[in-house]
Amino acid sequence: MPLDTSAYSLALLRVDGRRWNELRRIHAQIRTQAAADGSSYLEMGHTKVMCVVNGPSEPGPRRGATSGGGGGGGQSKNAEVAVNIVIAGFSSVDRKRRGRGDKHILELQSTISQALAASLHTHLFPHSTINISLHVLSQDGSLLAALINAATLACVDAGIPMTDYVAACTAGSTSTYAANDEGADPLLDMNHQEEQELPGLTVATLGDSDRVAVLVCESRVQVSRLEGMLAVGVDGCKQVREILDRVVREKGIKMIQEGTVERGVGLNDMELD
Amino acid sequence: MPITILPPKAFRDQPPRHSLNHDSDDVMSDATSDSEDSDSQPGGVSLDGGATIHPRKRHRSGAGAAASSTFTKRPKTNAAINSIPRSAIVTPGERITTDPQWMRGHGTYLSSASLGEQAITSSLAGIVTRTNKLLSVRPLRARYTPEVGDLVVGRIVEVQAKRWRVDVGSTQLAALPLSAINLPGGILRKRTETDELQIRTFFAEGDLVVAEVQQLFQDGGAVLHTRSLKYGKLRNGVFMAVSGTGGGGGVVRSRRQVWTLESANNGGPIDVILGVNGYVWISKHVEPVVPEEAKGQTGITNLEEVVSATMYSSQNDRIEPETMREIARIRGVVTALVENGLRVDEDMVTKGYNEAVELALVSADGPEDVYLGGERGEQLAAALTAV
Repeated sequence: MPLDTSAYSLALLRVDGRRWNELRRIHAQIRTQAAADGSSYLEMGHTKVMCVVNGPSEPGPRRGATSGGGGGGGQSKNAEVAVNIVIAGFSSVDRKRRGRGDKHILELQSTISQALAASLHTHLFPHSTINISLHVLSQDGSLLAALINAATLACVDAGIPMTDYVAACTAGSTSTYAANDEGADPLLDMNHQEEQELPGLTVATLGDSDRVAVLVCESRVQVSRLEGMLAVGVDGCKQVREILDRVVREKGIKMIQEGTVERGVGLNDMELD
Repeated sequence: MPITILPPKAFRDQPPRHSLNHDSDDVMSDATSDSEDSDSQPGGVSLDGGATIHPRKRHRSGAGAAASSTFTKRPKTNAAINSIPRSAIVTPGERITTDPQWMRGHGTYLSSASLGEQAITSSLAGIVTRTNKLLSVRPLRARYTPEVGDLVVGRIVEVQAKRWRVDVGSTQLAALPLSAINLPGGILRKRTETDELQIRTFFAEGDLVVAEVQQLFQDGGAVLHTRSLKYGKLRNGVFMAVSGTGGGGGVVRSRRQVWTLESANNGGPIDVILGVNGYVWISKHVEPVVPEEAKGQTGITNLEEVVSATMYSSQNDRIEPETMREIARIRGVVTALVENGLRVDEDMVTKGYNEAVELALVSADGPEDVYLGGERGEQLAAALTAV
């Protein structure tokens, strides 16, 4: 069943009623789990993920199996970023059984691990490991983007120094690879149905800059459309960063209000001249 | 997957919030103007029933029944949040200053702002602090960072040839060298190879110790010592881990980290050790047993000699049920303090304990009731903050 592109060209509305440049609702929270060093919960539309960060900490004598890159732990000078993803059986429509060695999950893990290892200041924590475990509760497209965003938030919550937020979102194109549609529009933040039918890519950028941290494209897309998709995706990442930043600020201000953290010198109170 | 199309909201002054640069002229300026409620109005879809997880409550996957009750409605506007400016905290990637007169401290890094200009940028979410010309960012929450002189409670995780590796809740394991402990038989005894061979008789894996940070390595690793009668192996009590110094709430550095509390309800004296790293030990107070023949002799070395004989015992003494109950009560107080975001120090724990004893008196179960979770904990916190 192809996506009803004729309907799109009439109203310029997508299957879920969004325009081409609209993100889905993003709702996020940090510090959802008191026992962890850092934790977050993030919804991008109906994609819902949960993240728990433990560390940086030095693993004991018996080292558990870790996956992912970003430098090895142990005696290395940089902290290792170990990512573990669990996709709940009830998260998607078809109850797919995914083993531990699932290639798809392994790829997600190493992508996230490398993206975060590039942004986190791992050199401050020699011999240690940052354990990031992600749980997918519900899937509706843009899974990798949601995972990256949730992991970033949890790392901020854990107080791990980083260069900037790694914010991610997806971008697609309104017509399939084969259709030689000249007027194909780029689409921001694809849901599951769009991901099934249309070419798309996941892009993550480092903060406000245009520096791309992750770019994953698993579908065939015409090269002429790539630039438009990428531009839309990078713009979307900036919006996502604003949303993530707001979540962190609101939580921080709330903590100051509750007196958990004493108020410091605000940037305005300080004469920086 | 069915797609529910809800009727669009009345067209207020609601520009497309997620407009892109090449779409309209009013670009990201909107993002700040309607930022307060933007979460709840994405493109005309009504989300009034949108559930959010209450952040203060613990949310574990195992607590299925409890989880449903933690879903609460998000308030539309939070007027209180507006009273503290957004600039009160900084977030990662936020530029603090480009003025070269400032030096960068912890929690910041230098990024190139423009041609040849370096900007001090925050790498953490936290508050900016200033010490003369040094700018640093204190995180909202982080793991414990050891400092020389800190009193810490730790757990032995590894035994090596001449030292132990101790988990103190830091980013790295701390080291406790064999040469930095009180060997049985007096402080002046020379360390021998026999001691090295029987290193496990002093501390084995899993043992809890109270120690002091003696020295720091360049990379942040700590070296501990237990060369005092105050320090050493822990027994006769209960361990708990809360967030430590710099963690937002939890244990704070204070004048006294260790004290003996005279408990109510025939509990007898109870020792409380608040490790700066957030590890807490609450135990029955045991007076050092001094044998008769040693009593006549004076001098501190003699006393140490005698005491250190029992120092590395892992055997608990007899603990009366009353004492156990009061230990559990103190533990409940500390948990309640942490859950309600209050600092944990001698003053708060003592006051909280007295309050908890009062609370137990009015409860149906009398002094047997040590439960201090949920509403009881909030009641306790309210009583403490009111004073």
